[in-house]
Amino acid sequence: MSLDYDKKLEVEIDRELKALPEIAAPATLIARVMASIELRKALPWFRRAWHTWPTSLQGLFLIAMLTLFAGICFGGWEATHTATFGLAVHKLGGWFSSLNAIVTALNALAGVIVAMIKQINSAVLIGVLCAAGLSYALFLALGTMYVRLAFAKR
Amino acid sequence: MTEQFETFMRNYQNMVYSTALRLVANSAEAEDITQEVFLKAYERFAELKDSPTAGGWLRTVARNMSLNHLSRYRARWSFFSELTSGSQEEDAPEIEFSAPPQLDEELAHADHKLLVEEALQKLPPAQRVPLVLYHIEGLKYEEIAGRLKVSLGKVKTDIFRAREALRKKLGARLGEEMGLEHNA
Repeated sequence: MSLDYDKKLEVEIDRELKALPEIAAPATLIARVMASIELRKALPWFRRAWHTWPTSLQGLFLIAMLTLFAGICFGGWEATHTATFGLAVHKLGGWFSSLNAIVTALNALAGVIVAMIKQINSAVLIGVLCAAGLSYALFLALGTMYVRLAFAKR
Repeated sequence: MTEQFETFMRNYQNMVYSTALRLVANSAEAEDITQEVFLKAYERFAELKDSPTAGGWLRTVARNMSLNHLSRYRARWSFFSELTSGSQEEDAPEIEFSAPPQLDEELAHADHKLLVEEALQKLPPAQRVPLVLYHIEGLKYEEIAGRLKVSLGKVKTDIFRAREALRKKLGARLGEEMGLEHNA
């Protein structure tokens, strides 16, 4: 594949493609777009995009959101200073301690599995791993083939 | 405002539709994308109506929406094109043109541009999209690789294959114009 050939081909294809005229849009397109616009206009303001809301409503919405945010911050701050909050923290601690026990049990289980694997003959282990790898490759190949068949151009 | 927008649409609809159609190669999908582009334009019509860059804005939005559409609905395309590394393109049925000598005669009379357009739209997406982005949309190889999330090497290979496929499909005329005897 010579560079000269590649360059000539690039120039020629570029010339051909740049010379293509615009394709005429379907005659119904304008009507479709205008109908869509009318449909959107008919929607109530709260179902339209926020930037299309009336300015006064946008302002009111911003104020309401800021008030809500301040309320949540203030409420959160107040809640941390109540006796109920202390109780809730204590309860959460209890939950996490049971989680800790689960993690310890899983670690022990993993240790047992590792010890069992060490007992198995390495040749058997390699064979099992190879079989698993082959099965995975087979499923991937079959899946690819099915997808290619399903989407093949007919 | 509605009449102004209709005039605006009339001025740009072919450009937007062409951009979308050349990328997605499906007239119904291209029409949907064009509609979405103009709905977006309507929301910003106050800025766009007198803007000298309105055409560029519409073209960029059409291109991005088409690429988003392709990546959303045809994510499998790039994956399987990587897996098959070109065999699918070779398997793709050739466009049914008549034999080269007759083709030459036909081309002398028929609309050559229509044949180029048809050949372009029949290219597999893995070849057509980077080719259109490079030659028609004017993007650089690196930009195409970034936009399609594929390697730079793959973009160059796909574009080269696409040019070769077009050359073969357009037959002898292109070869003559190039002064080429290459049949690779």
